[in-house]
Amino acid sequence: MTGPAILLLLAGLGAIAWVSARARAMRLQTAARASGRRDAVHSLPGYHGWYVALWTLVPAGIFLAVWANVAPGLVTESVLSSPAAQSLPADDFSRSAILGEARAIAVGAQAGAFNPLSQGLVEPYKDAIGKYGMAGATLAIVLAFAGGAYAFTRVRPDFRTRTRVERLVMATLLIASLLAIITTLGIVASLLWESFRFFSMVSPIDFLFGIKWSPQSAALGYGNDDAFGAVPLFWGTIFIGAIIAMIVAIPLGLMSAIYLTQYASPTVRKWMKPTLEMLAGVPTVVYGYFAALTIAPALRDFAVKIGIHGASSESALAAGLVMGVMIIPFVSSMADDSIAAVPQSMRDGSLAMGATTSETISRVLIPAALPGVVGGVLLAVSRAIGETMIVVMAAGLAANLTLNPFASVTTVTTQIVQLLTGDQEFDSAKTLAAFALGLVLFIVTLLLNIVALRVVKKYREAYE
Amino acid sequence: MSATPTVPKRLPTDWKSDAMRKRIARRYAAERRFKLAGLLAVGLSAAFLAFLLFSMLGNGLRGFTRTEIAVQVDFPASPLLLDPNAITDQALANANLPMVTGAVVKKALGADAEEWVSPTAWTVLRDRIKADPRILGRIETIKLPASTAIDLAAKSQGSPDAEAAVNRLSKARLISTGFNWGFLTLSDGTDPTQVGIWGAFKGTLLTMLVTLALSFPVGVATAVYLEEYARKNWMTDVIEVSINNLAAVPSIIFGLLGLSIFLNVLHLPRSASLVGGMTLALMTMPVIVIAGRNAIKSVPPSIRDAALGVGASPVQVVFHHVLPLALPGILTGTIIGMARALGETAPLLMIGMRAFIATPPGGITDPATVLPVQIFLWSDEVSKGFVEKTSAAIIVLLVFLLAMNGLAIYLRNKFERRW
Repeated sequence: MTGPAILLLLAGLGAIAWVSARARAMRLQTAARASGRRDAVHSLPGYHGWYVALWTLVPAGIFLAVWANVAPGLVTESVLSSPAAQSLPADDFSRSAILGEARAIAVGAQAGAFNPLSQGLVEPYKDAIGKYGMAGATLAIVLAFAGGAYAFTRVRPDFRTRTRVERLVMATLLIASLLAIITTLGIVASLLWESFRFFSMVSPIDFLFGIKWSPQSAALGYGNDDAFGAVPLFWGTIFIGAIIAMIVAIPLGLMSAIYLTQYASPTVRKWMKPTLEMLAGVPTVVYGYFAALTIAPALRDFAVKIGIHGASSESALAAGLVMGVMIIPFVSSMADDSIAAVPQSMRDGSLAMGATTSETISRVLIPAALPGVVGGVLLAVSRAIGETMIVVMAAGLAANLTLNPFASVTTVTTQIVQLLTGDQEFDSAKTLAAFALGLVLFIVTLLLNIVALRVVKKYREAYE
Repeated sequence: MSATPTVPKRLPTDWKSDAMRKRIARRYAAERRFKLAGLLAVGLSAAFLAFLLFSMLGNGLRGFTRTEIAVQVDFPASPLLLDPNAITDQALANANLPMVTGAVVKKALGADAEEWVSPTAWTVLRDRIKADPRILGRIETIKLPASTAIDLAAKSQGSPDAEAAVNRLSKARLISTGFNWGFLTLSDGTDPTQVGIWGAFKGTLLTMLVTLALSFPVGVATAVYLEEYARKNWMTDVIEVSINNLAAVPSIIFGLLGLSIFLNVLHLPRSASLVGGMTLALMTMPVIVIAGRNAIKSVPPSIRDAALGVGASPVQVVFHHVLPLALPGILTGTIIGMARALGETAPLLMIGMRAFIATPPGGITDPATVLPVQIFLWSDEVSKGFVEKTSAAIIVLLVFLLAMNGLAIYLRNKFERRW
């Protein structure tokens, strides 16, 4: 019996259980009420329906989930013990290739065999799959009936079904919220584990403080440990994400926020605010394409014209500029919030003393809102250094330690993408280096966020 | 006894004096400059957005059109050995149509014309013959798709040779521009005149379905638990901290997680929408949780109290009263989260969705690609014909994002209630 058929059958059984249990509960409750024992009725009939349906479905479902993981092993075992399997080669690789092919033919995913040995195994495979499939299906249905029957006998007017069903609902909610912890743990565990393997090949000191990055030569076997010095990547990331992008984003974002909150008419504000927020909604791959296709060539031509050496068509400036534009809405919305949180009395006091609006803004509002603005900028930086597509498409691959914004630099995220695409072997330092870079990125963004949130929180408390 | 300090006598400020007038003028000028700087900042940001959109539109609209060359096909005289009464797929496959098409084009337009039509132009002939086998007995003028070189030249971006050919063709009124249906129905390919977004689009749909199916129930359940039931203890704190952190983790880290857990530990199929959807679901879930909590928080406590007062259980209060009232807010947050997932590229590159895939996926475990990744792949192509295809794909993606955000705004305006 196939998987979907079993699931359909179980769903049908569940529906029948729900309907019949509900009908029985209704009948019993009407009878109980008619005999004058009103207080003997506890739960609504629907809850009885759910109770029996859940008892029908949940044990059988859990069994099927376990069975789906156990059965393939059992099938393989029984095939291996069949007479046709005695002629299999001893080495694991070709053996599993033959077994895989035989299984593919048996389930109909493949038409014919390349290896004559696997043809002989098709029949045992078909038999074993059929046998264990049938066994699993039978057991699941027996479990469903057993569970349903047990629950059905407990349907009584005074049975506290609602409590039991709600307990399951609560358990489901709790499990769902635990998924967030599991995901976080999964991220930390996978990054730590792969980084640990990387650092057993390359020393952490060399990785964090080395200034030469060329993983390709190390992978090809003529490199040395120096090839994994990540300082140029850290510099490139900071140069693009924390310097160039912020030089664009902080003035534009801050001034936009000031203009829109302090000067603009309500109509202008109503239209311009969503327009600026659209900048944050444009997919990063679009920004990357725009930077690579339009901005970067223009900047290179400009640099060549004014006579700068080493101008590259994959300049740090192109990626940084476009990234800065993407970040504008983050800075401006954080600045907006923190300026709005400055008490009105401070503003009124300044204006009453005769200060102009701009003097009030730059001498009173901004200093008062500064912690919030700084927090917003830190969040923006953490966002910028984790940004991938813009730098992959517009920044280069050359790991340079340079201050020239027209030269090519590379970033942590660019190198992660570069190292993990193409052929992957999970025991080479080249592939594992990506996880070490990911770990550094994860820790830095996390710290930036914690600091930023703390700064913002402290500042909010100051005015509350 | 201390003497009272003597205050030096101070004359009232003479606001009419020259020094004061100058000072006030200077301060007002600074005020105007400041205001102008603000206006400039807003203007620059908006101008950048406009520039971006217009440059995509300018490049991309051409990607939706294709150049066609009218070729007179003399079927009876062509070296085509087909029996009009027995047209089968097998017979058409054996008829060596690519060679025949080349010969036909040469005969109609001259010796060097074979290069002018797309390498896949023969499929047009095949489809015409299949649709109406009697065409084999006639002379017919058929519009064939032009090759990349001619296509670019007709859009005045080509090489001098191709420009000359286009001039000759347009003098003879043989060249025309038509809507490129192939762009919407085909998948990835190597020849820019014969690529389309259907494969990537279908992959996007499947991936988004998986993402929605996983992240929506889990996200809503988490939001309900944290907002309505969770007791204030260390576990709740850990859950909250994890969710806030997950919302701030760079997307590429989720890709690394997908690679090392879903692919290397669980051995799920590489490049599949299933794994892509699972990875994006982990990213989208915190967004839904945060939006859901805000929506649930905005439902007034009086509704809960009233429901509890008439005897509803805590679970009934939430599922019968609070959730239906919070649903518009939750849906808005979900759509915004899905829109973000729709534009996401980096984590999908990590799990191998950058492979060249020329057939649309049939299910969630088939190798697939998605629109943003397709854009990334095309942007890497050397052939100049891909520029307009990339921009056209970007237009499709942006239209989708705009539609989703529009839907979110509509839902918010229509169903939002203020208590």
